[in-house]
Amino acid sequence: MDATPQMTCQTAREAFPEFLDFRTAPTARMAERSHLAVCPDCQREFATLTRIATALDEAPSALPSGRMRQRFYAMLEEEKHSARSIHLAAEREHHARGLSLWRRLGLPLAGCALLAAGFVGGTRFSARSPESQDHSDPEARRQLADLQQRVNAMGQLVGYSLIQQRHSPTVDRLQGVLTSASRENPPPQVINELISALALDPSAHVRLSALDGLAAHLEQEVVRAGVLACLAREENPLVQVSMIDLLATARDASARPAIEKLSTNVTTDRNVRDAARRALAQL
Amino acid sequence: MLAVRDGELNALGELFERHHGRLYGFLLKLTGDRSTAEDLTQTVFQRMLKYRHTYRDQGNFAAWMYHLARRCTADHVRRSSAAPRPIDPADLNLHADDAPHAAGQASVHDDHRLLYAALALLDRDDREVLLLSRFQELSFAEIAGILECSVGAAKVRAHRALRELRDAFFRLQRPTPPVS
Ligand SMILES: [Zn+2]
Repeated sequence: MDATPQMTCQTAREAFPEFLDFRTAPTARMAERSHLAVCPDCQREFATLTRIATALDEAPSALPSGRMRQRFYAMLEEEKHSARSIHLAAEREHHARGLSLWRRLGLPLAGCALLAAGFVGGTRFSARSPESQDHSDPEARRQLADLQQRVNAMGQLVGYSLIQQRHSPTVDRLQGVLTSASRENPPPQVINELISALALDPSAHVRLSALDGLAAHLEQEVVRAGVLACLAREENPLVQVSMIDLLATARDASARPAIEKLSTNVTTDRNVRDAARRALAQL
Repeated sequence: MLAVRDGELNALGELFERHHGRLYGFLLKLTGDRSTAEDLTQTVFQRMLKYRHTYRDQGNFAAWMYHLARRCTADHVRRSSAAPRPIDPADLNLHADDAPHAAGQASVHDDHRLLYAALALLDRDDREVLLLSRFQELSFAEIAGILECSVGAAKVRAHRALRELRDAFFRLQRPTPPVS
């Protein structure tokens, strides 16, 4: 049926795919659009198609399980240790060797990593050392004072390096996520974003903040699986120790093999190995 | 992905974090099964590692990913003859943002159920082209590349699939066909 002499319904409908495609400019095919404005039949047809396309775009999808991330990182680790990858990596190392700020800071920081774990997690995932619980013994008090001093020294060091990151967009972005994460039942995508930040963010400060945000939701399997998956790829001792303590606090037995591996690996930072051994006793 | 190809394997972690959710959503809608979708997502990333040397810096990474996803799904379908089962939205672990407004909750929920049921009624090829066409990150040239057909054919197929989805949707909504 013709609504305008210039345009048949047939011709107008041939333009529908373009109207429904968000890649098309809104000014394209104006003649067909003006037919649509005056033809009720085409309007109906177009409305039903729009409704379905919109419903499809907005149809909810499920979140993948935490196991998937774990499987992925396990596969990645395996590939990294395959003969082919090691060979290629050695070749690459030969070409370029740049140390990041965090790598350079890593060594001095590692010395304080154990203390930082307590720092970051605070009392929330209370990885308390036995010394800090007995204040009556003079030896314990001396150790505590010593500990305090080292914490202060480390605070300056960490503070210095964190200034570099403080104003990066990632930290700002994460701030909103952390606020949502502090609520009782944060939506799954908030948890997901924190795990992503923990896995990927180049800044150890951001990764630690993400870990801190996750610490409140240890009862969720996806959180524990996420932290465990990230532990395999984490290289910063400070973050590694915090992750280990967190998993130990959660008493997640599935973390045992990964932590065992760290505790016996001679290339692992000494503080990380100590933390791993402590965790194994707890698990 | 170029970094991964050149041996920087940790870069794949970044790609995984950025894309796995959407890829999983695509595979879930395509297969209608959560554990199949998870397995296939894993297989896609496995193949990325395995075939990383074949990656070329032409076009976008997402196009390559969906190309692999399509191959993996085809292989999977060849192995198992199971027909797709419509997803029950009640099974989905929904994002809080997607939670419908209280008043319209039941009807929106029903719409989603019908939509998934209608989607399961389409041929896999139709489902595939339709889902790909709704991804903002892919151009029709890339979709045509993934489907190994011309741009024109991809557009025609996508639109035909959308019409079929609509017809299936309304058939399910009104089991007695309206007299037209
Ligand atoms: Zn008309």
